Amino acid sequence: MAADAEIFASEGILKQAQDDASIEQVVNVACLPGLVGNSLAMPDIHYGYGFCIGGVAAFPADDGLVLPGGVGYDINCGVRLIASSISVDEFAAAAESLGYAILQRVPTGLTPRSNYKLNKKEFLRVITGGAREIVRSFAGQAADLAFIESGGCLPFDAPGIISAKAYERGGPQVGSLGSGNHFIEIQVVEEIYDPQAALVFGLEKDNIAIMIHTGSRGFGHQIASDYIEIFRKRNLGRLKLKDPQLVHAAIKSPEGRNYLQALNAASNFAWANRQLLQEDIVAIFERIFRQGRGKLGLALVYDQAHNIAKFEKHRIGKDMASLLVHRKGATRAFPPGHPDVAEKYREVGQPVLIPGSMGSRSYVLRGTEQGAALTFASSAHGAGRRLSRHQAVKFSAQSDVRERLKKNGVLVFSHSEQGLREEIPEAYKNVDDVVDVTVASGISEKVARLRPLLVIKG
Amino acid sequence: MRNYEIFATTADTGIRFKGRDFCGLYENALRGLNLLLFGSRHRETRGDESSHFSYRGDGPENVLVNFLAEVLFLVYQKKKQVVALDFVHADGCWLDARLQLAPCLSTPKVDIKSATYHNLRVVEQNGMKSAAIVFDI
Repeated sequence: MAADAEIFASEGILKQAQDDASIEQVVNVACLPGLVGNSLAMPDIHYGYGFCIGGVAAFPADDGLVLPGGVGYDINCGVRLIASSISVDEFAAAAESLGYAILQRVPTGLTPRSNYKLNKKEFLRVITGGAREIVRSFAGQAADLAFIESGGCLPFDAPGIISAKAYERGGPQVGSLGSGNHFIEIQVVEEIYDPQAALVFGLEKDNIAIMIHTGSRGFGHQIASDYIEIFRKRNLGRLKLKDPQLVHAAIKSPEGRNYLQALNAASNFAWANRQLLQEDIVAIFERIFRQGRGKLGLALVYDQAHNIAKFEKHRIGKDMASLLVHRKGATRAFPPGHPDVAEKYREVGQPVLIPGSMGSRSYVLRGTEQGAALTFASSAHGAGRRLSRHQAVKFSAQSDVRERLKKNGVLVFSHSEQGLREEIPEAYKNVDDVVDVTVASGISEKVARLRPLLVIKG
Repeated sequence: MRNYEIFATTADTGIRFKGRDFCGLYENALRGLNLLLFGSRHRETRGDESSHFSYRGDGPENVLVNFLAEVLFLVYQKKKQVVALDFVHADGCWLDARLQLAPCLSTPKVDIKSATYHNLRVVEQNGMKSAAIVFDI
């Protein structure tokens, strides 16, 4: 083994990781050549394909490796949080109307067609320009871009390296939520732990916020599948892998370079997707509350990826090193003072968004110096599943999920009864445990806790 | 184990299937996927159109992933269910077949995004070939 496997966990989390064999996956990554530092797992560690969810691995930018399995299939799956000055009481009167309007407007569920009919040229502009292109040509405010990781756009200028299938799958899906664990939630800021950081992020107790969780839809999935296939073919017989999903290539190889370009295109798709969803939702708020976004205090707090590989500079010993950091089910968490943190947030550090499950709390944390030193500035990304979808459906068979959540103060809107049952709160681990370990290990600091009031599921 | 069946992992879902030869293996993989997608074991139709699928790979796992990925693409993008296979050639490294297609009668029950290589291995025991494939959903 070239490096150590390092897992940030409590005894309980470690026990679950032992049970689902995800520790073995962290060890398998530690065996990859050229790994810088250790193979890391965040406190939301659970079993993935080859590379565990919650996994972080860094390789030298000049002669290291790139692994599609270290990013995952849903490239730039991520979370966006929008703050508001709407009080929970003001929201309550409009809650039902908002829920129906969002469900009606936002395409959710299986392979929905987007409201935005993009031609090939427009689609190319979207995967080249990401959220910037949406703000430029469709909707939104340029000021938002500062609060999106990488400004919502990574460099891409090679449309020929993406398959026709990826274009066909992705073309109609820009501006759609998808299914599974993706959601739109309206939440209330329930608890503030760090008043200074919360103030800087625009989060005020008892005001509502909007959280969007989705990714690059079929476009990113097809790119991941295509490049796993390409890497496999080029490296057949040369790589001795513990798991075929850990197939990799040199960053500087033609296939490595092409994958990184395609990854950027899928990342841009995802940022564009979340930007469009935000604008759809903002328009609904403006219509229902009969006020503009300024008056409603609707402002983007942050948009961050939790399935991505990016070139970053990190301190290794006394020197700064250029690395390709893979985060799969892990979030970037830059500390205070980092030049890539939006100027407004630089004093407190980058926001870290950790969603819970439908019916449980979500958290806003912030990056720390200790996290930068321990985890290549990475943090946890969520709760992680505890029950399979089949188990969850069985578990909820005798109960009315909507009614049960309503009793707990959560209104649920979904076209899919089955999807709802698959996503019951009991299907997920306790996000509080994940956050407690994240904070106790110094990776991030708590800023605020949010409670769901309204959930729209695919 | 039946000729094909569904199994669940914590995060995802998969199918197990077996066959006496590669034709049987690929056919039962298709049946298992149709069961997962549409909840029914058989659909009594030959289909009203067909498409040609030919894939030469480096082993049966590689052929299976690409074959099932094609079936999924047809379902989600073209709204066509593959209801039967007419084999031209089937071995561990090459599948050449006409896919009999019929319009999907219902929306798929699950949103499968990708067929994965995760722990995928075609094994042979007592004259039967078998495999289990996990789908990312």
